Amino acid sequence: MKYHGLAESQRLADLLEDALAKEKRLWKVPVFKNGQILGTDISQFQYQEVILWLGKLSKLFRFYPETCALGVCILNRLLASVKAQPKYLRCIAITSLILAAKVNEEDEVIASVKDLAARSGCNFSTAEILRMERIILDKLRWDLYTATAIDFIHIFHALVMSGHPHLPQRCAQKKPCLQVALWTRQVQHCMACHQLSQFKGSTLALAIITLELERLTPDWFSVFTDLLKKAQIASAELIRCREMVDEFFDSLEFAFPPNAVYILHAANIVGGHAGRPDQGPGKTRAWGAGPRWARRVRANGGGAEEVDEFYDGFGCLYNEEMAVEVGGDGTGGLGEAYQGGVSPCPPLQPPVS
Amino acid sequence: MQNLRQAATEAFHRLGLKQRHLGYEELSDLEDSSYPNEPQPHWFHTLQKTGLQFGTATSYLNLEKLGEGAYATVYKGISRINGHLVALKVIRMKTEEGVPFTAIREASLLKGLKHANIVLLHDIIHTRESLTFVFEYVQTDLAQYMTQHPGGLHSHNVRIFMFQLLRGLSYIHRNRILHRDLKPQNLLISYLGELKLADFGLARSQSIPGQTYSSEVVTLWYRPPDVLLGSTDYSTALDIWGAGCIFIEMLQGAPAFPGVTDVFEQLQKIWAVLGVPTEETWPGVSEMPNFKPEWFLPCEPQLFRNVWKRLGQLPYKTEDLAQQLLRGAPETESPRRTPCCTPTSTPCRPRSCTCETRCQCSRCPG
Repeated sequence: MKYHGLAESQRLADLLEDALAKEKRLWKVPVFKNGQILGTDISQFQYQEVILWLGKLSKLFRFYPETCALGVCILNRLLASVKAQPKYLRCIAITSLILAAKVNEEDEVIASVKDLAARSGCNFSTAEILRMERIILDKLRWDLYTATAIDFIHIFHALVMSGHPHLPQRCAQKKPCLQVALWTRQVQHCMACHQLSQFKGSTLALAIITLELERLTPDWFSVFTDLLKKAQIASAELIRCREMVDEFFDSLEFAFPPNAVYILHAANIVGGHAGRPDQGPGKTRAWGAGPRWARRVRANGGGAEEVDEFYDGFGCLYNEEMAVEVGGDGTGGLGEAYQGGVSPCPPLQPPVS
Repeated sequence: MQNLRQAATEAFHRLGLKQRHLGYEELSDLEDSSYPNEPQPHWFHTLQKTGLQFGTATSYLNLEKLGEGAYATVYKGISRINGHLVALKVIRMKTEEGVPFTAIREASLLKGLKHANIVLLHDIIHTRESLTFVFEYVQTDLAQYMTQHPGGLHSHNVRIFMFQLLRGLSYIHRNRILHRDLKPQNLLISYLGELKLADFGLARSQSIPGQTYSSEVVTLWYRPPDVLLGSTDYSTALDIWGAGCIFIEMLQGAPAFPGVTDVFEQLQKIWAVLGVPTEETWPGVSEMPNFKPEWFLPCEPQLFRNVWKRLGQLPYKTEDLAQQLLRGAPETESPRRTPCCTPTSTPCRPRSCTCETRCQCSRCPG
């Protein structure tokens, strides 16, 4: 998509302003205290687990990433406004996703509620999900349209492309749309981290994009200040978010001992994703060297596709580990992470050497 | 207050089993729209109760059935909370699927839209068995209005309606919402001549660049050629085409492209006027899923004024506007601009290279 001319830049500015207003009006997230959502028994690990589960479901049902992000927004808003019991968490989550799909997906893409419930593997009946649907619509006053982090990724991407036309040539082999795809995946990972969930979608999107820009171009700071001004985000807030995102991505790297060779067993993958038509055995690969994806992006700028695939494989690993951890008490820190019980978001602190 | 009186009078008539049909006058002769403040009638307290709340069915009184749609039945009603007339849209619930996606989209989109040319959603009554949307009451719609005034509307009224239609569209497009179901039945007309876009059940937000949509939108008669050919990456031009069809229909008193059976007949009707597209006039048209040139008789583009006689009796700028709205080929360069509707003192200025539309009239008389 190409944007040019004054009219287009004005249009983008309006688009951003409109999205920011929508976000400001509706954005709400649950508050965490002592590792739990305030006022409930839902632990941060249960929260992270359910967000990852939503991401998996969204992929399984072939929804757009935007639908998944909207589902997470709906879930967050509900968790912030009611005292939810842990046993209903999955029911709330899948209903949020179904509502997001009803809003965002075309009619022909959405399967029946019964079918979605069955394929999700959650043990809730259609009646339970429909009851939850009524509760969510009521609590959120039917006001579901909002701007998610993914929407902001698209808007900021367009702003960067139109406002700084020299940038795309810098990463010549990489198509701009691939960047959006990568950023979209990164957003999805960040949404599962309860600390990062505390940031607005606009802040998170800008943090992810400027981290990438920093790696791509020496004059990223001018782009950064330009976007910051347009997005009306407090710089302190954004810097805090950037640091957390950076550490979060690093912690994903540290979850694996450096320079180890990983072999994903085909049996594991097939077993873990038996119901996923889109995950053929082609995805099964052996990875050499450490999964230091961020550096790979930098080192071989031409390997965009490789990075993507790499990321898929990574997501795979990640989800499998999570499945093992379901129901755990979730007290594992980094020490455990080394042994394989990877928490999706280890505490943000320097790794133990 | 006047509304309350009117409605109650009608309700009483109904109870007395007397049929009373309110006809609609041409818009120009509506002088009786200013109501003097009269004392409350003696039966007022029977309608107005204290302690009534929004969101409950008992707060509304059903008066009469107004119409039936694909997923809902609409009743005229009265709010016992404030005495206003309302339209009660009772949505059929599928027990297995919960709230229909059309209802979810309509309600959540309308939550974010407040504009004089968009129908106002007052309240939602949601129980386990039923779902009712409470809208502001608007007396008629463009389809009924055109039936009552056959042979084409007065050009002044066409201007007033077109101005409001484009202003409403401009507003929703600025909010990145496509209506996707424009047709005369979905354009409500009040007794003051206000036009309001309604029925957002097929509408959607298009915040996502590059996302493709369903090609099964818009009633056939108002569907643009690219969508008829199976395109799924349409944008605001979709609604603009619909507005163009409605523009012609208001002038002519008959639909612009009344296809009868299917997509191919619909395309044939359109191309009889615009000419069958070729790779030169529409690059990429031969790649479209439904494009089969051998199915179509060769047609040259016609002058609009020769096809639709009324255009010949009006200034050229009227035909210009029609031509800007009804474009055969989608623009391939940058994404189409959101139509912008600026009241201008000169009616309908011709525009050269965009599908941007200017409004015909600057103010509604009266």
